[in-house]
Amino acid sequence: MNTVVFESVHKVFRQRGFFFLQKSEAETHAVKGISLTVSAGEVLGLLGPNGSGKSTTLKLISTMLLPDRGEVRVQGLDTRGHGQEVRRRVGFAVASERSFFPRLTVRENLEFFAALENVRRREVSDRVESVLSWVSLINVAGKQVMKLSSGMYQRLGIARAMIKEPAILLLDEPSRSLDAAAADELWSLIQELSVRGTTVFLATHNFEEATAVCDRVALLKQGELIALEKAENFAAQELRDFYLEITADSVSDKFRMGVPA
Amino acid sequence: MIIDKIIAVIKKDAITALRYRNGFVISSLSQIAQLATFYYLARAVGPQFRPEGMPYFLFLLIGTGFYTFLLAGTHNFLKTIQESQQTGTLEVLLTTATPAAVLVSLGALSAFGEDLLQLAVYISAGVFLFAPALHMSVIACLLAFVFSILSAFAVGLFAAGLQISIHKGSAVLWVLGSGAWLMSGTLFPVEALPKPVQMVAYVIPFTHSLTAMRLGMLGGSLAAVARELGILAVFALILVPTGIMFFSWMVRQARQNGTLSFY
Repeated sequence: MNTVVFESVHKVFRQRGFFFLQKSEAETHAVKGISLTVSAGEVLGLLGPNGSGKSTTLKLISTMLLPDRGEVRVQGLDTRGHGQEVRRRVGFAVASERSFFPRLTVRENLEFFAALENVRRREVSDRVESVLSWVSLINVAGKQVMKLSSGMYQRLGIARAMIKEPAILLLDEPSRSLDAAAADELWSLIQELSVRGTTVFLATHNFEEATAVCDRVALLKQGELIALEKAENFAAQELRDFYLEITADSVSDKFRMGVPA
Repeated sequence: MIIDKIIAVIKKDAITALRYRNGFVISSLSQIAQLATFYYLARAVGPQFRPEGMPYFLFLLIGTGFYTFLLAGTHNFLKTIQESQQTGTLEVLLTTATPAAVLVSLGALSAFGEDLLQLAVYISAGVFLFAPALHMSVIACLLAFVFSILSAFAVGLFAAGLQISIHKGSAVLWVLGSGAWLMSGTLFPVEALPKPVQMVAYVIPFTHSLTAMRLGMLGGSLAAVARELGILAVFALILVPTGIMFFSWMVRQARQNGTLSFY
């Protein structure tokens, strides 16, 4: 079953002029005609450098943004007309420190968001304990959020997104600020989710992460989808060449000798 | 489900307020200072000035106390959006399963509790000092209170929508609030204003809120307040659905333009 479908989706950000004072409109075409289909339980990597449209793609699924052209459908629901129903199905793991209530403890933050996510009061406590154990934050459950480390924020962001047991989980550079061991742990969590049937979108600029964790990888460049392949194909050496782009006025012999044909 | 959400929001705000105790102490002190100001202002004006047939201090207490409560209620909607824009929680809140209009209303409702406490202090001061002069109709006062809150709720949603859209909702609310403060009969009767300004005053719902509350506290019967209550009910009927639609439309526009997290 297809969980998420993009059909020729475009997203343009316009900086509008202020009446007659500024006539021109600056435009950024963040997503250019992306079409893709993702199945239930699949882990799709969105791989690309900064400004390639990874976060915009995630925001389009979460309904934080609506497409200008084309259609995004989540479990058959168009994000334009069924925003509320889509939001019930999608969890967006936002790990920014500023997205939590700093004076509340880890547990209090999750309890608050659980209520907003329609989790019944008698189930909240169990659900919070369960996600905290799952992301290994149970030991800091009583700590005020402002005292957490960056790695803990990442895990708390995932816990918050998982509190509603979403069908689709969106992760935006989840291993940023994690050490190697914590990143490995996170990758195991993602694979566990996939086994449970959760569809995961993982935006990253880390090639190793994309190919190690994902079933398929979508390569984005300046808002365009330039390749969509199984992860093992991406691991092949030739696809890494997408990243090799050198511009130079002149090249020394010494450098030329060092570059393979 | 909505009850669970109300409890969660109130709990979150209460814990946050307790952990920022200083703000609560400062606001209590400012309220005492305001009461003292009204008392000495009324003394300076003298006992011969009895607007709408009541002592001036009582007129000020009801007018300013109730007006401040309604304006604060309106401002709470704006504050809910502003704070979540500043702290960075707005985008996350708006990706939850709770509709945006419900979210902002819950935030404002929680702050209403604190304002209600302030209003209770004003009313207690009035009852304590002027008990013999009061012929209160509890039903009239309650109805005036409910209809006024509904109007404040709607105006609050307009302000919150403007905050999402142009990020300057507080400036708009300040201009409207100052205008309404001047015209709605908080400090002096509306009849003291020039005729054209009086006409503007009568299309401000808060003008009728203050009149209804004063009549309800002194008039002693529901019939005496019926006309004002009718006007307030019409305001509520028109403004509440319009406010919800306006706010929801502004949020949708922000999702379309990608400006949800802008501040």
